Amino acid sequence: MASVTFDYVKKKYGEVEVLHAISLDVKDNEFLVLVGPSGCGKSTLLRMLAGLEEISDGKVYIETRLVNALPPRDREIAMVFQDYALYPHMTVEENMSFGLRLRNTPKEEIDKRVAEAAQILQITSYLKRTPKQLSGGQRQRVAIGRAIVRKPKVFLFDEPLSNLDAKLREEMRVELAKLHQKLNATIVYVTHDQVEAMTLATRIAVMQGGYIQQIGTPSEVYSRPANLFVAGFIGSPTMNFVNGYLEQEADKLYFKNDTMKVLIPFAIPLANDKIDYKSVVLGVRPEDIFIERVLDKKLSDVINVDVEVVELLGHRKNVYLTAGEYRLLATVPASFNKNPGDKMFVWLNLDNLHLFDKKSGVRIN
Amino acid sequence: MADKDLELARLENDRQQRRDKIKTLILHVLLILACVVTVYPLLRILSVSLRPGDKLMSTSLALIPEGASLKAYADVLTTTHFLRWLWNSLLITVVTSFIGVSLASTAGYAFSRFRFPGNKLGLTLLLGTQMIPAGMLLLPLFLMIMRLGLINTYIGMIIAYSVSSLPFSIWILKGYYDTIPRSLEEAALVDGTTQFGAFYRIVLPLSTPALAIAFLFNFTSSWNEYLVARVVLSDSARYTWTLGLFELQGQFLTQWGMFAAGSLLVTIPVLAVFLYSSKWLISGLTLGSVKG
Repeated sequence: MASVTFDYVKKKYGEVEVLHAISLDVKDNEFLVLVGPSGCGKSTLLRMLAGLEEISDGKVYIETRLVNALPPRDREIAMVFQDYALYPHMTVEENMSFGLRLRNTPKEEIDKRVAEAAQILQITSYLKRTPKQLSGGQRQRVAIGRAIVRKPKVFLFDEPLSNLDAKLREEMRVELAKLHQKLNATIVYVTHDQVEAMTLATRIAVMQGGYIQQIGTPSEVYSRPANLFVAGFIGSPTMNFVNGYLEQEADKLYFKNDTMKVLIPFAIPLANDKIDYKSVVLGVRPEDIFIERVLDKKLSDVINVDVEVVELLGHRKNVYLTAGEYRLLATVPASFNKNPGDKMFVWLNLDNLHLFDKKSGVRIN
Repeated sequence: MADKDLELARLENDRQQRRDKIKTLILHVLLILACVVTVYPLLRILSVSLRPGDKLMSTSLALIPEGASLKAYADVLTTTHFLRWLWNSLLITVVTSFIGVSLASTAGYAFSRFRFPGNKLGLTLLLGTQMIPAGMLLLPLFLMIMRLGLINTYIGMIIAYSVSSLPFSIWILKGYYDTIPRSLEEAALVDGTTQFGAFYRIVLPLSTPALAIAFLFNFTSSWNEYLVARVVLSDSARYTWTLGLFELQGQFLTQWGMFAAGSLLVTIPVLAVFLYSSKWLISGLTLGSVKG
């Protein structure tokens, strides 16, 4: 297995630059997930690593080898495509062994590797079938099998689960996590699904508009999002954002607006002239809005809200609340018994507040 | 109320069924008419080819004429160079078809997959050549072949036929390649092929229906061609069957029996090629390769 390095990599289509000087290190045996909305450049970055897109500027290394000018076949990578891309005129076995046959691998070795991969992916009984005789999930397994048998240095996955239905996607997600443990492989995985990113990744790189917005472990990205975009993109349901300003009262700092006054329990470098303290955004995750006082938590002052909509999810409820002009979403236990139109009190968990500069979107705390 | 509704629905259903029946009937009458119009001339030729020599000008409409014999067939095969002409045609047609399909398959791939200056213009020009009547091309084609010193040669014929059917074949194949997902070739590239390898090992095997159609088109158009052959070939030993059969038409006497027998015999190779290639004309070969 190997590491991957992107060094100031750019991609231009004519005059339009779609990837802006991306620098990123993927460590040996790491499961790195590139996540972002459609058109953010994540697939392009992956395809540049695969050799399927030209690199306009910058350098890409696999281990210490510069691969910019190498064709895909010489990069020792294997790729799983979003649409499976199985060769329809070949059986499952031929699909899986295609790369090995091209490299003149001895037949016994090919048979051994195909059998091993088929066993890991539980597709042994389909080896003689053609792709059209398989279901979506089975085809995806074959596509993964085709990558495994090659024993590449780096595995590339381009939204491999996006064509599967929800239940199958969940199953395959677990399979992929197990596969990573078993193969101990370096994996670069592209997805727009933040749940996939959170559950599979060793580290996540969140992308938007051709830039990497943040790189970190799933828990880092979730608990300390670097900016408003990452805060809004990672986490389901999404974070609540409330506009306001910061004001010092006595020796305490408060976030304020027409309907809220929230104590800011951490120190902020007020001498930063890049940040406008008169215009900030407070971010609160839905699980950090409490409907009753919890003694062992540091909570804000009470906030008056109206219940707008209640959604039952089974074990939890999503409650849409309004506090003046602001809308808040709280996830609460299923026993919550208020109805739309009811008035109630909520408290914010002061330990998990996120403050962002409104103009630049950058995290303040 | 409900009964009335039910009755109305039943009436409407009956009316619909009657309309459907009438439609089917009209359709079948039209189809039968089309069949008759298509098949009748062939049957007349068959009938003429079976007539004994003294009844060639008979006005009888009988399919199998009185005193039917296969003499015309025997005559055309033994007293003329018919087999030679057939061989010439077959040689030129088969070589033309292979060359045409090979060139069109690679050119179509380039037009389908690569961006290069003149891609769209090239395709439009190729289509444009199809708008020019074949007669107009005769003189330039003749001059070119003459300058190349290829008059009265098989190679001259093969070049003339290959280039004239190339544009259509390129369009057919380009259109088909466009429907093959690029990710298949990308997967092959990552698996270890070159770009040509991806074309040869993945795209070509998946394009058999389009290749078969292009081959058939090349085959039938070269097989039946008369005008270019008339211009390029002068030696009767090199004649294709179209020229050869025309030879049978004399100034004072046309041997209609042999003419008809020859006409029927030349349909056999085309029919054989068509029947053989029909098994390749199965579309939907790419089903199951990508998400479906």
